[in-house]
Amino acid sequence: MPLIGTPNIVRSAVNWPHAVACLLVAVTALLLGFGALVTTYDAAMAVPDWPGTYGHNMFLFPLTQWLSGPWDLFLEHGHRLLGALVGVLSLLLAAVTWRRDAAPAVRALVIAAVMLVIVQGLLGGMRVLLDDKTVAKVHACTGPLFFAVAIAIATLTRRMPAALQINPPVRGVGFSTAGDSRLLPSWAVGAAVPKALVVAAYLQLVAGAQLRHIDATITIGAFRWMVVTHLVGAAMVTVLAALATFAWQPHEPVSARRWSWLILSMVFGQLLLGAGAWAFTSGVPVWLQGLWTPTEAVVARSPRGAIVITGHALLGMMILGSSVVMALEWGSAEALGGLIGPNRRRQGVAR
Amino acid sequence: MKLTPTVPTGCNGIGNQPPRATGFQSAWSLVLLTIFFATGCGATPPAWFRPNMVKATKEKLSAQREQQVATIMLAMFGTPDDPVALPETGLDEAKLRLAAGPVRSNIVGRKNGLYREHCAHCHGITGDALGPTAAFLNPYPRDYRPGVFKFKSTERADKPTHSDLVRLLKNGAPGTSMPSFALLSETQIEALVEYVKYLSIRGETEFNLMGAFFELEGEEDELPLGRDFLVGEMLTPVTEKWAAAAGARIPVPEMPADLDLVASVAKGRALFYGDKANCVKCHGPTALGDGQANDFDDWNKPIVEWKKEIAGEKDSKFLARAHRVLDGDALKPRTIQPRNLRLGIYRGGRRPLDLYYRIHAGVNGAPMPAAKGTIPPEDIWDIVNYVRSLPYELDGELGADRPMVARDRF
Ligand code: HEC
Ligand code: HEC
Ligand code: HEM
Repeated sequence: MPLIGTPNIVRSAVNWPHAVACLLVAVTALLLGFGALVTTYDAAMAVPDWPGTYGHNMFLFPLTQWLSGPWDLFLEHGHRLLGALVGVLSLLLAAVTWRRDAAPAVRALVIAAVMLVIVQGLLGGMRVLLDDKTVAKVHACTGPLFFAVAIAIATLTRRMPAALQINPPVRGVGFSTAGDSRLLPSWAVGAAVPKALVVAAYLQLVAGAQLRHIDATITIGAFRWMVVTHLVGAAMVTVLAALATFAWQPHEPVSARRWSWLILSMVFGQLLLGAGAWAFTSGVPVWLQGLWTPTEAVVARSPRGAIVITGHALLGMMILGSSVVMALEWGSAEALGGLIGPNRRRQGVAR
Repeated sequence: MKLTPTVPTGCNGIGNQPPRATGFQSAWSLVLLTIFFATGCGATPPAWFRPNMVKATKEKLSAQREQQVATIMLAMFGTPDDPVALPETGLDEAKLRLAAGPVRSNIVGRKNGLYREHCAHCHGITGDALGPTAAFLNPYPRDYRPGVFKFKSTERADKPTHSDLVRLLKNGAPGTSMPSFALLSETQIEALVEYVKYLSIRGETEFNLMGAFFELEGEEDELPLGRDFLVGEMLTPVTEKWAAAAGARIPVPEMPADLDLVASVAKGRALFYGDKANCVKCHGPTALGDGQANDFDDWNKPIVEWKKEIAGEKDSKFLARAHRVLDGDALKPRTIQPRNLRLGIYRGGRRPLDLYYRIHAGVNGAPMPAAKGTIPPEDIWDIVNYVRSLPYELDGELGADRPMVARDRF
């Protein structure tokens, strides 16, 4: 990804595109949280109509009934309200980026964000009106995609040192430093690993969505395939996160390296939460019971279980988002390496 | 009886559901449907009851006979989205409707589709224990269709009472993946219990029907469709057993109030290792459950036996069919493990009373035999007391210096 910043013509003025993008990321994270809870509690059909809520206009549904009503209704209606807010924020983002004369890549991403948010809203509606789990799965996969795009916009609209706003050099120019590589050839780490991590984290999320939106009509073989895919995906994500952390190039930006550590620790947490999610939904496997046998049955829908299961889904999305930031910053090293040469490569990108 | 086979139509079987969209919404649906079908019909297929293919194949039913059974079943029991409860079943259709169908609310706070929300991924839509996750679970989830239940307060061969099932749902089965549903409301648990009974009665009736072709005379190729036969001979024998369960509680003598616990435990120990009760044979001299371990339970045994049976089969077409069924409609047989009694984890509940029922009646469907008849009721309490001491016993001995753990007294 080439490096683009918002041209800071007037340095002191508020960087509106970045500010709005950050707000969008925050609200989207909350929206994903609600969405994940909706799945955990199987609350998607708690409101049978759409775009209204029990015959009311969505925005006019009585506040007290929403807040004091059943938990399922609270989640589903809240998810819809937040979804609407995210839609509005996306349009606002489009408006401010256009006025700021943003870089082409940012514009493209903003257009993608607006389109995705519309599609996502319609998918949500279809999921309810058709009462269909396949649509639910697609909806669950589009949400994090939108989140990734929003994060990319927020990253790319940051103010960058002036030098970095020049077009990046031809790929490869900065990589005459083969001797720096620790584990892998520099081109592999420099370009492929962070990008592969983004792809792997997303595919892992898609596999996870198949597990979570389990439809009782699917066959045992299909489910087994999904479990194996999710486990292989977990291994891939772990390996890629470890490579990004331990096989970085000396000329990668400091902040990208910090992200890699954050991601690696999130991945370890994710492995634990994944095991926990399994235990809360399917019990402790017999081959593990020698180590630990729960003396009580798992309580279905217990807050503890919901936190672990929902937390696993959410952390997976945060891993995706963080890898997007890292991949973009990593890219900036290519530019930096090419621009300022190996001697100053340790300096990294100033935040 | 009217037999009208309704074939689910469309991608989502939406045609079968009562109309629920207003005009405005239908317009929306139309737009959305267009998008959806433009991207290809990937919609989830409607839920359907899977026929008992193991039984059908064992009985070598022709496709035509399979179809007849399916049609009768549809008329007698309806579909997973639209259950029917004939009055003879004694089932409450309103409760069934709460548990059946897809998960959704049409009234604020009332959630339908409870079975599919909470149970079907393990126990299967049909209650055949062929839910998607089943193969990963050990023990396998219960297949309700044979109508055999383990943890109950009735004699071995009897059905569980309504409150047995309610208890089970509230407590789950500790040590297995069967969760506790203690956080569901009373109404929801009632609905789920009713639905378990429905699936069980349905499964046993189907089993009876598939076995009934065997008795057809000469040229007849179809089962009689009269009420006498379908309800009288196929359904009622099943429902009568469920109705009888309520009055079939095991009588339990009071445990003597002035019981000398140490003496009782010692007596129980002698019985445990003695020839009459012979618990040691399966649960092992250390009670770790490491005695006899090569047996199968009543759900796995028929599969094992059938596998042996078809090994000598010549008809290659039938063999192919049988293997297809064994792969797709049966779980890989597993031996049953006698319980490790040192853990203090009891699937059927850990109250002394629960253990009394378990030892008195054995575990239905599992090799664990009933002590009833061989051991007098009062002595069963001694065994219960001994079993309850096992998790706290050191080196298999109850040392004189080590009194029963106080918190474990009753
Ligand atoms: C995670 C998987 C899982 C889920 C979900 C689950 N069960 Fe079970 N269930 C099991 C397993 C495993 C057993 C077998 C326990 C054994 O054999 O000791 C079982 C056993 C049972 C039994 C038989 C108990 C007996 O006495 O023999 C009933 C009845 C039952 N479950 C009902 C339900 C109902 C109703 C629900 C939904 C509200 C449900 N289960 C949800 C796994 C599950
Ligand atoms: C033929 C073998 C056999 C014999 C004899 C036997 N058991 Fe068992 N027992 C089993 C098996 C198998 C199970 C596991 C059943 C299951 O899957 O739920 C079991 C389970 C149990 C349980 C656990 C019940 C629960 O709720 O989890 C107890 C307690 C128990 N046995 C006690 C005894 C006692 C006491 C005796 C002697 C009176 C005895 N058993 C004799 C095979 C045996
Ligand atoms: C780093 C690796 C992992 C990542 C990034 C990841 C990501 C995810 C995500 C995003 C979801 C939810 C998808 C959605 O709701 O749309 C999910 C679900 C799930 N994951 Fe993982 N996962 C990882 C590792 C694991 C591991 C090791 C296990 C262990 C068995 C596991 C078990 C599960 C289970 C059981 C679910 C479904 C939970 C449910 O039923 O609600 N995951 N995963």
